Amino acid sequence: MSEQQHVTIVMVEDDEGHARLIERNIRRAGISNAIRHFTDGSSALNYLEAAADGPALNGPALVLLDLNLPDMSGTDILARVKSNDRLKRTPVVVLTTTDDKTEIQRCYDLGCNVYITKPVNYESFADAIRQLGLFLSVIQVPEVEAKG
Amino acid sequence: MSPSPVDLGESARKEARAERVFNALVIGAMVLGFVTLLGVAATAATVLARNLNYTDWVAHTYRVDTAIADFRALDERIETARRGYLLSHDERFAAGVNQLKAQIGAQVDFLQKLTVDNPRQQANLVALRQEVAEQFKAIDVSIAFARGGADDSSQFFNDTGVASTRVIRSRADAMEIEEKRLLQARNAERLSSVRWLVTISIIAGLLLLFVAAGSIFVILRYTRDLGVSRAELRRLNVGLEDEVATRTAELQRANDEIQRFAYIVSHDLRAPLVNIMGFTSELEAAAKPLSSLLERAEAEAPAIVAEDARTAVTVDLPESIGFIRASTKKMDRLINAILQLSRQGRRVLAPEAVDMGALLSGVAATLQHRSNELGAEIVLSPNLPTVFSDRLALEQIFSNLIENALKYLKPGRPGRVDVSGDLRGGRVVFDVKDNGRGIDPKDHERVFELFRRAGTQDQPGEGIGLAHVRALAYRLGGTVNVESALDQGATFRVSLPLRLTSSEPSR
Repeated sequence: MSEQQHVTIVMVEDDEGHARLIERNIRRAGISNAIRHFTDGSSALNYLEAAADGPALNGPALVLLDLNLPDMSGTDILARVKSNDRLKRTPVVVLTTTDDKTEIQRCYDLGCNVYITKPVNYESFADAIRQLGLFLSVIQVPEVEAKG
Repeated sequence: MSPSPVDLGESARKEARAERVFNALVIGAMVLGFVTLLGVAATAATVLARNLNYTDWVAHTYRVDTAIADFRALDERIETARRGYLLSHDERFAAGVNQLKAQIGAQVDFLQKLTVDNPRQQANLVALRQEVAEQFKAIDVSIAFARGGADDSSQFFNDTGVASTRVIRSRADAMEIEEKRLLQARNAERLSSVRWLVTISIIAGLLLLFVAAGSIFVILRYTRDLGVSRAELRRLNVGLEDEVATRTAELQRANDEIQRFAYIVSHDLRAPLVNIMGFTSELEAAAKPLSSLLERAEAEAPAIVAEDARTAVTVDLPESIGFIRASTKKMDRLINAILQLSRQGRRVLAPEAVDMGALLSGVAATLQHRSNELGAEIVLSPNLPTVFSDRLALEQIFSNLIENALKYLKPGRPGRVDVSGDLRGGRVVFDVKDNGRGIDPKDHERVFELFRRAGTQDQPGEGIGLAHVRALAYRLGGTVNVESALDQGATFRVSLPLRLTSSEPSR
């Protein structure tokens, strides 16, 4: 796990409850990485692209993305991340309630790495998040290339 | 652009009025024409009859004239015969005289008969008869005198015969003049009647010409009006079709909007529901260490366990969590139902030729087990039409309707579901008729609303089926409604276009 310690998990989720449940279940899976939570798209994008401690300038990250956000669509954030030279290799896990086929296809087309539909049933939800945590514990996140 | 119904009524009334006026005019013209023709024919016949009559009379006049001339000749001959006898004393002349006397009498009789209609000639004849008698007397006297042997010319000069012959001659002249007068009068009358006929004919001809011109004018105008109103009708028809298309499009748009709305709402409702369910589970999980703590406290230091704390942990907490869970599960089912509905609405329709007989047999077969259990039968009418529409949507509509019919049977009455369908214009109308418990008329609209149900709530269900059926029927460009009364069974009528034209907005 030590290798993954410095990978920041950036969670973009407008629902505080969902965010809390996701965080709890990730922790229960034994993941202790820092989790940065944003409830709207613009501040999340700002952090990803421009913050001094953000992934574009400093260190690898993994994005947990909800599609239904108050200020913009999650797919817009996905497109921005995947078109940014410094961020395009950052893994993006779309975690949302939408199970619309065209929406799922669109996200994969835009370069999303994993698409997970939040199960309504909590047991399944908790299960899914814990499995996601286990998944996060084994995946390799590429280093952000140094500038220049 | 689309005409209002008021315009329609107005134009129809106008047309009816124009037609009445036209009919009256044409019939009037025809009657006038026929009356004129009849008048002309009658006049011609009268004039002709009168002319024939006049001709007869003219001929008659000529006959009278001839008879007068004959009489004149006979009278001259008797005078000649008398003179012959007086000169020659030849008895043959005397015999001639007697013979001529008889002939003259007969001729006068003949004249009298001929002119029986003319009092003037009759008066003339009375005078003539007298004059003839006087002539005869003079002839007799002179012959008797001559036979007596006297050859006295003085006697001859005393003779009245010559004078009476002259009188007779002038009488005959008078009669001839009278006949000529009659002839002239009759000719004049005939001429005037002919002239009258010509006048009448000209007037009638003009009248007929006028009637014909009027009729042609009216017919032309009517034909033009007819053309105008036919064009108007065509325009209205096209307008009507447009209106129907617009109405259908509006319905579909409204339906689409509802589907989209349902989709958004169901998604937005899901998010808080996940929280409620999630934190309820967290609560439940948190309650477990609490209750084990309580158990430990009760075992090790019962004094510190307050009654209300124990009730809260052992009764209130599990009960509350149970209610929350039951409610969230119900809400989850409802949201899933809406989601399913909206997902249906977003499915792209694939119109194809669907043999409804086969489709409904399939639906009936899948429900066979169910209907056998209930002791009900599903009867499909033969010759169900083929429609060009979306197979899956049709299947869902009819399986929902037939399933509903089986679901709401009247207890104690063997169930029977009849499905029939036939063509009406460009549409197909299907009836799903059951003999079940029926629906109160006040609930007829309600049953099609989402999550609304009617009657005794003794059957499981969320109130989705008929809302789904209606949404599908709208999507197929159709309608669905119900005719029913409590305990009288229900008939669900689905009216669909024979051909589904994909006029849906692309998604």
